[in-house]
Amino acid sequence: MTIKSYDDMDSFKMDVLKEIGSIGTGNAATALSKMLDLKIHMSLPEVKVMDYNKAIRELGGAETVVMGVLVQLSGEINGMILYLQDLKFIQTVLKNLVQEEITDYSELGELESSALLEIGNIIISSYTNAISALTGISIHLSVPVTSINMLGGILNVPMAEYGYQTDKLMTIGGTFMCDGEEVYSNLILLPDIPSLDFLMKKLGVESE
Amino acid sequence: MKICRAPGVLVTYALGSCIGVCIYDPVLKLAGMVHIMLPNIYENRRDNIFKYADTGIAETLRKMEAFGAVRNRLVCKIAGGAKMFELGDNSSIGNIGARNIDSVKMVLSKERVRLLKADVGSNYARTMFFDAATGEVTIKAYGKPELKF
Repeated sequence: MTIKSYDDMDSFKMDVLKEIGSIGTGNAATALSKMLDLKIHMSLPEVKVMDYNKAIRELGGAETVVMGVLVQLSGEINGMILYLQDLKFIQTVLKNLVQEEITDYSELGELESSALLEIGNIIISSYTNAISALTGISIHLSVPVTSINMLGGILNVPMAEYGYQTDKLMTIGGTFMCDGEEVYSNLILLPDIPSLDFLMKKLGVESE
Repeated sequence: MKICRAPGVLVTYALGSCIGVCIYDPVLKLAGMVHIMLPNIYENRRDNIFKYADTGIAETLRKMEAFGAVRNRLVCKIAGGAKMFELGDNSSIGNIGARNIDSVKMVLSKERVRLLKADVGSNYARTMFFDAATGEVTIKAYGKPELKF
């Protein structure tokens, strides 16, 4: 059966994505741990397909300010990945990477923003590498771009891009424990529908 | 899409590339607000007509007229249409906000509704409040002073 929307993702397919998410999160945690020189524990990631409004609520509310790192996928898979960093995550990263304590996004200078962009890029690449390694699909990533703004506005970007195909978002959420503190990591994975279908077929997950 | 009368206030949160369209009948103090996500509807998508500029604005006007609004009294204020990420110029993701702005303006002129004021474009998200008692719009954005018009 061809996948026509994110709703066609049954529990079996979700499990496969969860596995990819798990490997990706593992890679990401390893990379992060090396960069920050910290022990990092991770929880099992949760993969959810949610409609737009619910996704905004679950991710912290429309007016919550976050930093989004966006990468476009091309090659055999088309789509985009959005990685959301909240203030707590940013504080943890900056404290360990450049020994700086910040209380607000406005204190981020060029160096800090660039470091965070790179962290986002590494984490996103960890996931795409996991997908590539499992399937042999080649995925090309665009240069990452960031935006610090209200969550609702940032989520507008993937929603508008795929608004003609779907009203849903697919999120891979997980928790990192570093320094005894819990930080959330939220990755929004949005292959377009034909790519999702292609991905599932490559992984050998075909439902009748 | 929501419609209300004074003393109500309509709100839409964190408009990114989306556009908040506020239509007002000053005599009835009747306010209508619709949250536009995409420029126009495609034939095969009839799910939520309020998502698209063309069908969304037309249906909001129809509903407001059902509540007694008169077309030539109606005025409109819009906000949103931002470009959240600085992607390359040839990327369709980058300019969806600009396409939304163009489409909304075109639909408004076609429907003969006067556009009084617009706070659109740039690169930040906006929360929009629309007071039915006065027709005044308040814009709140992260790291920006509050704007009223």
